[in-house]
Amino acid sequence: MEFAQKISSVTKEIFASMIFLDLTSGEPISQGQEDLGCHVSAMIGLSGDINAILGIHCPAVVGKAIGGAMLGMELEEVDEDTKDALGEIANMLAGGLKETFAAEKIDILLAIPTTISGNSYKVSAPTGSNRIIIPFDIEAGRFYIDLKYSLS
Amino acid sequence: MGKTVLIVDDSNTMRKIVSRALRQAGIDFSEILEAADGQLALDVLGSNEVDVVLSDINMPNMTGLEFLKAKSEDDAIKDIPVVMISTETGADIIDQAKALGAKGAIKKPFTPDLINEILSPLL
Repeated sequence: MEFAQKISSVTKEIFASMIFLDLTSGEPISQGQEDLGCHVSAMIGLSGDINAILGIHCPAVVGKAIGGAMLGMELEEVDEDTKDALGEIANMLAGGLKETFAAEKIDILLAIPTTISGNSYKVSAPTGSNRIIIPFDIEAGRFYIDLKYSLS
Repeated sequence: MGKTVLIVDDSNTMRKIVSRALRQAGIDFSEILEAADGQLALDVLGSNEVDVVLSDINMPNMTGLEFLKAKSEDDAIKDIPVVMISTETGADIIDQAKALGAKGAIKKPFTPDLINEILSPLL
């Protein structure tokens, strides 16, 4: 199953249709990199035929740029608007993956997005799970889409 | 005369995005109202003349499906068309929404052109 390709495709669709920021994707990182140098993250749980956590992780400047583009205004800090915007991206990304999986008879349910922010945290995958991290670049800098998963 | 639309979504960001997409869709809206859940949407419909509602499905307090059911039981507002706008647009949930009176569904992410295509026949 080509998770990286699906994630990249859905992310580009979201940015093209609703955020209007130019976006390029980098080579997927399979595992090992826990400290992504990020300050705000939004994550959503997936359950069913696949158990997974899907996240978007951004440095503050990138999170503010993305949130500002979605809201049509400049964001001064990583505030509730920034976290709300990133939560919606996680939600849309998970919804897009759910649809592509459904076409392959893989049923998943979505949880509610959760966002965190801070100056020093790591996001780790449980032992035995698989992980894909895909870097994306916008003008403001790099962010990451991260999928930690195990097949049911 | 411009139409009045009500956007129902618990995300402030998404309400702003839908509002922007409505303006870009080229439909003449004179007023765009907002509500953060189904119960607040019922309150808005009870005190405003609204031509069409765009509603999320997954919301706290009162979901989009619960909102449709409550609206269908109120003679004063039951005929106002509702279009669901959500990341969840699987056949099962859309069938439930249509059975409760929804006139269509728009999947997030969406474009202004899609908004126009779905809403124009309802106005």
